[in-house]
Formats: sequence, C-alpha cells, structure tokens
Amino acid sequence: MRRTIVIDPVTRIEGHSKITIQLDDRGEVVDAHFHVTQFRGFERITQGRPVHEMPALMSRICGICPVSHLIASAKAVDDILAVEPPPTGADLRRIINLGQIVQSNALSFFHLSAPDLLFGFDADPAKRNIIGLARENPQLARDGIALRKWGQQIIEWLGGKRIHPTWIVPGGVAQPLTAEIRDRILAGVPEAIAAVERAIAWYKSDMLRWEEEASTFGNFRSAFMGLVDRDGNVDHYDGWLRVIDADGKYLADRVDPHTFNDYIGEAVEPSSYLKSTYWKAMGYPDGIYRVGPLARVNVAERMGTPRADEELDRFRGRVGRVAASSFHYHYARLIDTLHCIEKIEALLRGPDILSTHVRSRAEVNRNEGIGVSEAPRGTLMHHYKVDDDGIVLWANLIIATGHNNMAMNRAVLQVARHYVKGDKLEEPMLNRVEAVIRCYDPCLSCSTHALGQMALRIQLLGPDGAVLDDLAR
Amino acid sequence: MAAGGDGGGDEVGAAARREAGGTLVICYGNALRSDDGLGWHAAARLTQDPRLQGAQVLWQHQLTPELAVDVSNASLVVLVDASDGDEAGAISVRRLDPTPAAGSAWSHHLGPAELIALARELWNASPPVFVVSVGAANLEVGDRLSPAVEQALPGLVDAVVAIVAAHGQPGKSA
Repeated sequence: MRRTIVIDPVTRIEGHSKITIQLDDRGEVVDAHFHVTQFRGFERITQGRPVHEMPALMSRICGICPVSHLIASAKAVDDILAVEPPPTGADLRRIINLGQIVQSNALSFFHLSAPDLLFGFDADPAKRNIIGLARENPQLARDGIALRKWGQQIIEWLGGKRIHPTWIVPGGVAQPLTAEIRDRILAGVPEAIAAVERAIAWYKSDMLRWEEEASTFGNFRSAFMGLVDRDGNVDHYDGWLRVIDADGKYLADRVDPHTFNDYIGEAVEPSSYLKSTYWKAMGYPDGIYRVGPLARVNVAERMGTPRADEELDRFRGRVGRVAASSFHYHYARLIDTLHCIEKIEALLRGPDILSTHVRSRAEVNRNEGIGVSEAPRGTLMHHYKVDDDGIVLWANLIIATGHNNMAMNRAVLQVARHYVKGDKLEEPMLNRVEAVIRCYDPCLSCSTHALGQMALRIQLLGPDGAVLDDLAR
Repeated sequence: MAAGGDGGGDEVGAAARREAGGTLVICYGNALRSDDGLGWHAAARLTQDPRLQGAQVLWQHQLTPELAVDVSNASLVVLVDASDGDEAGAISVRRLDPTPAAGSAWSHHLGPAELIALARELWNASPPVFVVSVGAANLEVGDRLSPAVEQALPGLVDAVVAIVAAHGQPGKSA
C-alpha cells in the first residue's frame, strides 16, 4: 500500500508551498514533490501597458528582490528601444544589483539558514530561529543585520528608496551618482568585508559537522548555468550564458542571452504553479540544471576579485571543481557575497563613475526584447513582445526558482529517502526536508508572482492516497 | 522632524543614532492592501504634526531585523499598524511584552515582540514599546483606506502624541 507525507507550509522561505512524500507498502519513500501553491500572474497583468512602465511594474513582483526584476526588465526594454546604456549608467546598474544580492544573500544565510547551522537540525525549534541565534552567537546575528542593512542602504541611496526604487529606467539610470553617496557606500566596505569573512570562518570551522547533510542534501549530478564575462569570470549583470555538466564540461558557452529560448524549455506540472525549465538538448525531465550562487561558482573560471578568488580556491579544495551537493549553496552564497562587496568597491573607484551621462533615450525600435541578469537566487530572464506603439502584447518571465524547480524536487526526494522513516512525521525530518529547499533560497513570490509570505506544509500519504500525517506551521 | 519611508528608515536610523535617546515611530503595512496601508497614511500625518517635533518617523512594508538597530538607539518606540479582528476603526493602545512567541515561524519579517527581543539580545536595549493599532474593515487589494479607518486617523495621531507626552520628549531621553 502506497502512502504519502505532506509538508505544508514550508517555512523560512519566500512564498507558499507544500511538500508531499509518497510511501510504498513497506513504508519506504518512493517519490516526493515540492508544490508551489500560490499564484499571481504578472505576465497577464502587464498586457496592454506601455513598455516604458514595465520596469516599475515588474519590480512589484517581489519585495525581497525588486532590483533584480528592475534590472532584467530594464534590459528587456533597452532591447526593444535598441539602445545601449552609457558605460557609467551600466556600471551604476551593476552596483545597485550587487547591493541587492548582498542584502538578499545575507537574509538567506544569516537569518534563514544560520539557525539550523548553529543549533543543528535536531535542535528545539523554539530556539532554532533568529532570536536564538542572537542569544547564542550575537556577533553572527549582528553581522547578518549589518550586511543586510548595508546592501539596503546602497539600494536606498542610489535608488531613492529601499523597496521598489524607480531609479533604474530604460536606457540607463535616472540620476548620476554624487561623490557624497559614493563615499558613503565606500565607507561601509571594510566592515561589510569583515562581516562576511567572519561568517565564512565560522561556517568553515563547523563544516565537518554537516558531512551527512552535505552528502544527502541534493547531492546529485546535474548541469549548472550562469552568466560569465569575457574572461569566463562571474558576471551578475551581463555577459554570456555558460552551461556545464556535472564534470565541468561545457554544454554551451558564450551563448548570447537573447537566444535563451533556443536552449531552454518550460514544462508545466499540474500539481504546482511553478514551471519547470529544462535544457532542451537533454529533454524533459532529463535536462535538469541548477542556477544561483552554487552554479555561479561552478560555471565561472574565477570570481574576478582578490578575496573572493582566494576563498574560491579554498572552496574548490574542499568540495572539488564542480560542487554537486546543494548543501554547498551556503558556502557559495558567502563567497558570492564577498565578491559582490569587492566588486562594488572596484566599480565605485572607477574614474568615470561620477559621469553625468547615465541615460540613453530612444523610442520603440523593435517589437521584441529580452533582458537577462543574475538575481540573488540565479539567472533571471524577462522576455516581452510589443506592438509598434510600444504596448505590451505578451510577456514571459523565467525566474531562478523555476530554473531550480526540478533540482529542488530531486533534492526533496533524496532527503526524504534518507531521513523519513515510518508513517509518522518527526520535527527533525520535517526540518531537513525544509532545509534542503532553503539551500536554494527559493522565492515563490517571484516565481509564481503571488501575494503573501512563505509557509510550508508537509503531508505523508499512504499508497492509497490517504493522509497519514500532516504537519503545518 | 525627521522622516523616512519605504527605505528612508536607514537614513533616519542614522539620524536617530546621532541623537540617541529620541522617540522612534515605526508605521508599517502594505500600502496596496487597503486598510493594511494605515501605517503609510498615519506616517504622513505624524511627520507633519508639530507636537511630534524631533521624533523619528519611519514607514515600512514590514518589520525587519535591521530595524533592531534603530530600536536599540531609541528611548521610546511606537509601532503603528492595522489590526485584523478588532472593530473597524477602533483604536487600541497596548504596551508590548518583549518576550517573543516560542518557536514562531519566520520567513523574512518579524513580529513586534521579536523585533524588540532582537534589540535587547544584540544591544541590551529595552526601550518602552507601544503598539497603536486601528481595526481594519478591508484588507483587499486597493490603495485607499475604508471610511472607518480614515476617520480614525486623527484619533490615532492623538494617541501617539499622548504616548510620547507621557513617556518622553520626541527628540530627548525619556
């Protein structure tokens, strides 16, 4: 007799979801699925709107990473206008995008995942939270707050406000950078670097404790995708798509992001509002790949900044050239953050960063446009079609969490098979199933464009579909 | 009077630290969810009220951990929010117990008690904290307040002023 476990809602991620775990007659896990149960539908909402409005509208998809959508949307509209932002305008977009990634990565590591890493997955959930973290390791908690605050300050100082800024516009940015703001951001760099390096040292000091989790938390062979620059290093704003297989061999390199539809397909499963993307050459569902911080460090030759490159060498020395386990998203996320801070400093020290030529202007020159950038959780793609007057006819978004959907499902199954025993859900097994999802830091508000905050539910179903156990938070 | 909204909070937070010991008013909610946007409407009035000269007024979508820095530098904290379940338009004032709910689920924002507990744990700061709320009539998508909540705004401002008058001067130590 087959039975099923359902985790509903999943906690400490952004959005609403549930997990179902199917058992066979002997009580062994035979299948598991991650379902996204919320829906919003920005692709439909924006139809009929003038294309110039798209960046501001699309930023409303998410309160956590609005800047990521602003960037990808503005790039898609640049494409429709057939316009290139001036170099300084592009660099300022890069800086605000990197600030966004710093604050979002800090939220994921310090606030959502660190309680598990500090107290352990079996610890009392009453203390396994941010308040418990503050009591047990106040420096770690303060560092997380400081990093997130600095990243948000960058967004606010450049964009005028921290959430849903409108400074990023088609053709560049609305206002040039002032020396005062540049110096204010630069003043925070040393402490930001110190904070993330303390976190890296702390994480590594305890890393061996998680060998079992590292071997079972989404530890499988898959492809990885990310943007790289002309040297093959990480690029969060522009560049080419690179896709590697589990051995590090190129499946594709120097792919113009505007051609992503030639390589990536989208599949729909009836049990979830979250689409599954796949590498077309491998078909569905074999074309599984991962994006995000782990993919970025796997696909790139180097990070391209000194401190992050030193840490990348240590990372690869520990886990190999291509890290397979999704547990290593945590370590990769910290390296990614360190790189972002260094890159922000380098860009701000550029000789032309205070140039007042930050925006190019044009009218609608094409009927189709694509914008691709790296968001905190991975590669973000906006694709629009407009009529000759610039009215939006069609839009499609591929969000990092969609790229990772098949990988998350596979990870949930692997964790469930390892930790779920019998027909009763125990808190530690529930937390591990949730925790593997948190490695990917999914943003379900983005990926399905839903209202509300994340919550998770787990259901254990028997072979006949009957609910054997049900845990919700 | 310093004010900051939708991210202006950090700027104001820095100002608050420079003049540590002042009153901090945090208004929060979703401005696109009708009455849940109470905080934003209230903040617009509070920043203009001469009786709150010197107070730091922030408006936010939600309470987040980094606000604990601002709380830790204040001598009095007032949180302004809509409440679901109270009579529509009814104003309530309560002093907050800084003990967070055990095992509370959390994604990216905090409840008032968790925010205050975080300031206490990380910076040993325990300013008096009051929550001023107004019962919501409509939490559906929309950018306008219901008539009942709109009519409660003057009384809400008076309630905040009364708390500040009783527990400290807006820009000085309590």
